[in-house]
Amino acid sequence: MRNNVGEEIVHRLAVSGQEFSLYIHLPFCARKCPYCSFFSVVPRNGEIEEYCRLLHSEIRFFGERLAGSGAPAGTIYFGGGTPSLLAPADWERLFKCLRKHILFDHKVEITVEANPDSLSESHVRLWKEQGVSRISVGVQSFFDGELRWLGRLHDADRARMALAMCVHSGISVSADFMFGLAGQSLRSFSTSIAEAIALGAEHLSLYQLSIDETSRWSDNPPEGRKDGYPFYRWSQWYLPKKGFAQYEISSFARPGKECLHNSSYWTNGAVLALGAGAWGYADGIRYRNERTLTGYAEAIRRNGHSVAEAEIPDACKRAHEAAILMLRTARGISFEAFASRYGEETLSSLLRTLEENAPPDCFVRSDASFALSPKGMRVANALWSLIV
Amino acid sequence: MEQKRIRNFCIIAHIDHGKSTLADRLLELTQTVESRDMKHQMLDTLDLERERGITIKLVPVRMKYRAEDGEDYILNLIDTPGHVDFGYEVSRSLAACEGALLVVDATQGVEAQTLANAYMAVDQGLEILPVINKIDLPSSRPDYVIKEIEDVVGLDCDKVILASAKEGKGVPEILERIVHGVPAPSGNPEAPLQAMIFDSKYDNYKGVICYIRVMNGTLRPGRNIRFMATGGVFPLEEVGVLRPNFEPCDELTAGEVGYIVSNIKTVAEAHVGDTITEDARPAAAALPGYRKVKPVVFCGFYPVERDDYPQLRDALEKLTLNDSSISFEPETSLALGFGFRCGFLGLLHMDVSKERLRREYSVELVATSPNVIYELTTKSGEIIEAHRPSDFPEIGDIEEVREPMIKLTLFVPSDYVGKVMKLCQDKRGTYISMDYLAPDRVRLIYEVPLAEFIIDFHDKLKSHTRGYASLDYEHTGLKASDLVRVDVLINGEAADAFSFICHREAAYNRGQAVVRKLKELIPSQLFEVPLQASIGKKVIVRQNVKPLRKDVLAKCYGGDITRKRKLLEKQKEGKKRMKQIGRVSIPQEAFLAFLKVEEDEE
Repeated sequence: MRNNVGEEIVHRLAVSGQEFSLYIHLPFCARKCPYCSFFSVVPRNGEIEEYCRLLHSEIRFFGERLAGSGAPAGTIYFGGGTPSLLAPADWERLFKCLRKHILFDHKVEITVEANPDSLSESHVRLWKEQGVSRISVGVQSFFDGELRWLGRLHDADRARMALAMCVHSGISVSADFMFGLAGQSLRSFSTSIAEAIALGAEHLSLYQLSIDETSRWSDNPPEGRKDGYPFYRWSQWYLPKKGFAQYEISSFARPGKECLHNSSYWTNGAVLALGAGAWGYADGIRYRNERTLTGYAEAIRRNGHSVAEAEIPDACKRAHEAAILMLRTARGISFEAFASRYGEETLSSLLRTLEENAPPDCFVRSDASFALSPKGMRVANALWSLIV
Repeated sequence: MEQKRIRNFCIIAHIDHGKSTLADRLLELTQTVESRDMKHQMLDTLDLERERGITIKLVPVRMKYRAEDGEDYILNLIDTPGHVDFGYEVSRSLAACEGALLVVDATQGVEAQTLANAYMAVDQGLEILPVINKIDLPSSRPDYVIKEIEDVVGLDCDKVILASAKEGKGVPEILERIVHGVPAPSGNPEAPLQAMIFDSKYDNYKGVICYIRVMNGTLRPGRNIRFMATGGVFPLEEVGVLRPNFEPCDELTAGEVGYIVSNIKTVAEAHVGDTITEDARPAAAALPGYRKVKPVVFCGFYPVERDDYPQLRDALEKLTLNDSSISFEPETSLALGFGFRCGFLGLLHMDVSKERLRREYSVELVATSPNVIYELTTKSGEIIEAHRPSDFPEIGDIEEVREPMIKLTLFVPSDYVGKVMKLCQDKRGTYISMDYLAPDRVRLIYEVPLAEFIIDFHDKLKSHTRGYASLDYEHTGLKASDLVRVDVLINGEAADAFSFICHREAAYNRGQAVVRKLKELIPSQLFEVPLQASIGKKVIVRQNVKPLRKDVLAKCYGGDITRKRKLLEKQKEGKKRMKQIGRVSIPQEAFLAFLKVEEDEE
């Protein structure tokens, strides 16, 4: 490996010349949610602008080294944090910088995460102009009580307005919802989901409230959390009837509205990660950037990039991880693709382990692929722990 | 000292009736111990005894006493172990005495075990001197207790002493009464040596020290002595008396009590009850009453930390140097790893041993619930001793199973008789008799299987009678019983660690309890897991562990991948620590819970 891990990553991306995904982390939140441990800070004066300048420099670093390879960004994802905390002017400069240094694929998918409380009309207008194709809105619920309990900054009306505004812009909209909240009932959950569909969401990310290890709630978890089973089971039953296929464990979408960026995580596609705390993957290297603002700033100034930690799992670990990630998706493991990468033997031993230790109705097997059935998805952890 | 000026006596008392305090007063009054050296409960040897206020056994002590008649006497106090587990040792201690103080608490009255020991003393021809203790307490009822001693024990209480050991009241009278009421020992100092061991202990410097009573002949250092039961011959290195510290002397002669040291390595070579004689001039016969005590209650001891196994083994070896009635052999448990199956004389003996291992040898251990040894006759006529369920042959091959029984004597306030009878019945007891000791006190006698008694009889009795009952028991041998081995099957496979022996009629309930507990503790698996309890091929209980419904961390994007893999690896690690039976993972807690399940099955 090259001395400079940043150079190595960019080298691996450039050599292939293949399309890659670009993830950009915008680590600012107006307030930190008590269950979340993603890297984010409450921005002080000028901090966002400073961060954007560093980000520009990071984009330039990779852009210059990728130039000439012909490798285009197939998907771009702005995650957080709360990306909608950046002012429209910041967004404009960011896009300008990106377009200058990174080659966009002609049908590039660009996703922006947004929170109802910080989203404005001007954001949406600007995103529309800049070619954003998806907005992922952190709705979580359409019930004020549930939102308050979660410590979210917005109420249900605010979420409705945000969602409607995004849909109205013509950008495809995804909505995040959580289940297992205190006081939540199947009735309230289904009402929330139905409302999101009625408002025009074409993609839904549904997940159980999980309390991250270093989050505020981790030492002192709140009472009243519900078993996720009924909510999840209901979603698997209801959404397909409404035209939303479950294409991944926590993702449901109308046909053609699946998130390509996330899909590339599940198929081990190359991901160039920019910004503090972002995770990327380049041909066998899984890596993470500096996750403090000062560390990030220092690294960018010193190295041009901020890769702080890189791991190259051995072949066996890589194969198992790939299998686990692919099994998240409804497409599952494609025999041909998996075997050509990790070997026939690895593939058949994996499948044997799974089939011998779990009931047959957990799986869907065809001539060409092996995937989890809806039932299998419900107990996926137990299945994966067989092959990890 | 002339034989006629020696008095050998013991104290018979129930736990808590003031034996140790009385002993303290006797030591003070006879100035055996300088008052500055005096500590509370002087003769209790174990810290444990002092702390819990229960005395298992006092060290023997020799006191010099100048009586009112102006003569000097030697008073040897020999203790009797204050617990029913040590019935045999009591009989040997009594055999070393000519008299006994029967100490009864003026507020409590006679308790079951005091009575049993008093009867034993009467049987052995001891002179019994009743003492009513704790008369200083406002709730004392001496008249009532005197009547009870007369009625229940059958002793003449004309010369009863009313005492308060705590305040020193009545103690001088007790000393006088010992001098005049207890006969002097007899025995011929010139005859061939016969000395009885009534206790022994291990000392790091001297090796085994035997506490003995010389019946005939004389012990002098330098000669070879022979242990008549074990056949061992040793040079006698030291003889002496206990005051209460070791005080060597030139000889011990017929009628005297003291100790000997003779380079013996383990107490197993010096059994309580054995007769010591002179190798060169042996006695014609051993003293009567010797028998080898055998453990009757068994349980597994396992170190809390698995690495501590060698420490536990060393500690057990050291403990048995001091107490040869404990047996132990290595065993392994699916749940607990390497440990030892240990045998004891009874429950208290087991508890005390466990506690001593902890305190004296700093070994933290887990004890499994106690069990007994069964005896089986197979269809082919073979006789098998079964220590554990796996020793039981197939049910079709068993002709008869026999289990150890005890005769249980209970003293119960009459208000609680119904409850106690129910308890005995629940424990498969057979009623033998009931009589009123007083209008408000009843003596119940039941025959009960030892296996039932050792599980939780004490605790239940205590809670049913609010502590106002006392008990005594004696072993009555083996009795045929309809006992079966209940197997537990997990996903169709027999899980050895969960099988147990019980009476056929209890099999369903206990099977149910075990299966229910397992169902609680075995996590849902990908498959439905049937749990069954069976006798032979016949399934008597079945329940299912429902399959897992949902186990998924829903979201997983870039940064989650590594974290998620770590979570899965952790989950897998957790699973590795579980035991696999077939394809079912069973957590450690299930095995631990099983060890206790019988206790809380109700």
